[in-house]
Amino acid sequence: MKGRTIVITSGKGGVGKTTATANIGTGLAMRGQRVVVIDTDIGLRNLDVVMGLENRIVYDLVNLIEGECKLHQALIRDKSQHELYLIPAAQTRDKNSIDPDQLRELCAQLEEEFDYVLMDCPAGIEQGFKNAVTAAKEAIIVTTPEVSAIRDADRVIGLLESAELQRPKLIINRINPDMVKRGDMMDQRDVVSLLAVDVLGLVPADEKTITAANKGVPVVHDKKAAAGAAFLRIAARVDGDEVPLMEIESKSGLLAKFKGLVGINGSAYSHA
Amino acid sequence: MLEFLRWLLNQRDFSKERENTKDTARQRLQLVLMHDRLDLPPETMESLKTEIYEVVSRYLVVEEDFMEFEIRRLDELMVLVSNIQVKELDRLVTAT
Repeated sequence: MKGRTIVITSGKGGVGKTTATANIGTGLAMRGQRVVVIDTDIGLRNLDVVMGLENRIVYDLVNLIEGECKLHQALIRDKSQHELYLIPAAQTRDKNSIDPDQLRELCAQLEEEFDYVLMDCPAGIEQGFKNAVTAAKEAIIVTTPEVSAIRDADRVIGLLESAELQRPKLIINRINPDMVKRGDMMDQRDVVSLLAVDVLGLVPADEKTITAANKGVPVVHDKKAAAGAAFLRIAARVDGDEVPLMEIESKSGLLAKFKGLVGINGSAYSHA
Repeated sequence: MLEFLRWLLNQRDFSKERENTKDTARQRLQLVLMHDRLDLPPETMESLKTEIYEVVSRYLVVEEDFMEFEIRRLDELMVLVSNIQVKELDRLVTAT
């Protein structure tokens, strides 16, 4: 077996890297793939809580790399997907505890056993970022339609190119369809015209993403949730299925329309 | 009721004339990204400067230390601004 090692990165923090990693990983496992997700954010462990696996951690990434445990001891099996595993970050160590070569070696080893090795990259462009990017062969960039996130994404795209990770794919997260509709949020076309990369997926802002994380069950399990459906689609596209991007539309029910109208009035009022 | 609806629609039309903040965001980002991407390393700026000096020197006698040399923003454009003190115009004659 020769798996694919993909880094999920963004530059800016808080745009949804960890959420994306958990959901794409789960989505791929739901499609029958063998997946391992690695939290490379050493010192700021999070992927475990988003996936609801925080109580099962015994060994972590640094233990594994330093040879304090065997590979199977550091692999935490997911609660519902039997072919999905997590390697958690170390919480009490710093980002210099591992170097790029060690991580690359581990990924190479994991590629032999898994179809997908997904790495949740730390925010920033320092050592932790370099470790994850050096070990990866493909990259997914997560951004939101906001100026700060897009600027950082552009910077990261430049750094990925110099690290020879060509053609990274973009996920635009937390799109608010109502704001897009009234011209107050950049849409897919705007973002692509700025960043000039291929779009892997569009994810609407969805409260269910947060409630799912509250429960430690990635939203991709909830097919009725807009964000869940979006991530399932992204997983399919990563996996090579040619499914179209999700249409991000505002709720078009009569009630929603009326609410929208009143909402617009409200803002017009406050600006007038 | 009809009055109310008309009022409601008017309010909506009014709101459409409002500035689209996404256009502002996109335009600002276009410039910022261009600037970020153009953030040339100091060595590159230095060799650009040296070569420009060499070319200009073929035509004019100029001060080697440029008064100004930078890439900066000018309204909606990115511009390379260079001010070079001309010391003598003699060479213009010999060059042509």
